[in-house]
Amino acid sequence: MSSPSENVRSREENFTKRLATKITAEVPSGNNPYLVEQVRYHGYDQLELMDTCEVSDVVYLLFRGELPSDYERELFRRLCIALINPGMRHPATQASVTAGVGKTMPVNVLPIALSIYGGDFDGAADVEKAMRLYRRLSRKPASDTAQAIEQNEIEAMPGFGTLYGDIDQYANSLFKNIMEHAGDSKLLNWVSELNGLLQPSGIGLLKTGVCAAVLAELGFQPRQGCGLMQLLAAPGLLAHGVEYANKPLTSMLFESDDCYEIQYEPGTDHGVHQPEDSLEGAV
Amino acid sequence: MNYSYWDEQRGKIKSKKGGWRIGEKVECHGLDMMVDVVGKLTYMQLVILNATGRLASKNMADWFESIHICLSWPDSRIWCNRVGSLGGSAGTNAVALVCAGVLAADSTSYGPRTIMSGIDLITRAHRSVGSGINIEDFVATEIKNMGGKPHLMGYARPIVKGDERVVVLEKNSKKLGFEQGEHLKLAYKIEAILDRNYGESMNMNGYISAFVSDQNFSAMEIYRICSVMVSSGVAACGVDSADRINGSFAPLHVEDIIYTGIPSRSIS
Repeated sequence: MSSPSENVRSREENFTKRLATKITAEVPSGNNPYLVEQVRYHGYDQLELMDTCEVSDVVYLLFRGELPSDYERELFRRLCIALINPGMRHPATQASVTAGVGKTMPVNVLPIALSIYGGDFDGAADVEKAMRLYRRLSRKPASDTAQAIEQNEIEAMPGFGTLYGDIDQYANSLFKNIMEHAGDSKLLNWVSELNGLLQPSGIGLLKTGVCAAVLAELGFQPRQGCGLMQLLAAPGLLAHGVEYANKPLTSMLFESDDCYEIQYEPGTDHGVHQPEDSLEGAV
Repeated sequence: MNYSYWDEQRGKIKSKKGGWRIGEKVECHGLDMMVDVVGKLTYMQLVILNATGRLASKNMADWFESIHICLSWPDSRIWCNRVGSLGGSAGTNAVALVCAGVLAADSTSYGPRTIMSGIDLITRAHRSVGSGINIEDFVATEIKNMGGKPHLMGYARPIVKGDERVVVLEKNSKKLGFEQGEHLKLAYKIEAILDRNYGESMNMNGYISAFVSDQNFSAMEIYRICSVMVSSGVAACGVDSADRINGSFAPLHVEDIIYTGIPSRSIS
């Protein structure tokens, strides 16, 4: 035997035989064990939720395990609307439109857009990191964090930065709207104060940071953050994509050859790295 | 004006890779794809070229193909494949279920992303040994940093001990004319330490990470080359369940689920 790898044997790990959940309780139908006759979310009958709640209340319930208080409902409702549509120019929306106009299967349009929205440029990628950081750092004064950033002790502050070279003033307008309802929230006021301290240096709160701040304030788990930001942006992403589903291909951008520049990396042979792997050797 | 960079990009596309000159040619890193590529390069050579800008030898590309085969098992219990099977069972179209399985494999537990961590480990080990640190000490420190568990990325495979793919890849590398480099030799030293102390061996990730480090590929290059490496196994599992009656894969009775949450309650 040449390698210990060759001897393959099971670790005999004890995998579960049944799935478990704290979220959904189903009562089986009497005549078919695969069908349900009642569904409850965190204890509440779904039909009663339909009679009583707004959709944002039930989204909150699914993730937090309780229906929101008046304060929580209003904060979450505002966040849902703040993030509901990244706008036509966002790469994720353009991807949605491209899929729509390209006659992509309709069921694929939203997953395509959400995948692209998972990036870290005005997207959802950094929400979890930001939530963890805001929760931890907000135990101390915002000035401590601002000072650490200025002294390069913190390389990057998730949820803060610039968009296309400048502070995203619209993200700040959204946050200001939310802050009108924030009361004496320690975490939100910490984020707001940090935002004010960093702006003279040309750094401001981004939509990612707005999302992270509100979700952290409401007690959502950081692991839930990225997906929730995607979820909240889904309506706008899909709306723009299907807006283009019946339009001709020519209604989407397709740059002319004059506007398509091939610029290989300087100092390389057509951008090919490792000149020792020449075409002759490769073919 | 802080947005001048984006103004320079506005209304045009700048490509470092190539493009289609309508009516003239399709260019990829200076190659005319219809003249220099089709019938002359293998598909995997083109995959590597597109992902990295490297024009790899055919043997190198064949080696990459072999690792793709090693991650294309048609076993529906493997997580990404299970996603594919569930897609087939749910009547999801083949393209969507394959994409879903590929997305599932972008994981910190398995798939191409973990190779980046494997490369990080073996390159740090190589640097440490180069700076005079004993490999035994390096491994001990890594294990200590992991809370005493020998779960170094590239070693101690989940589910089973041992990895039959390593043995096959070793043979294939030799057949393709690749010699063991410094990183791979070091990887075997790490394996010997873990085998002696914990009964753990190198897994496929560890072998790939060391091999490609010897070939001077970066972690990000490997991640990009291998981004869809599980797709074929996912497709196999997806079409298997898609060709059956809907809901055939892993059907669950209502009572198969254990509810551990809050008892029934009313809003009012």
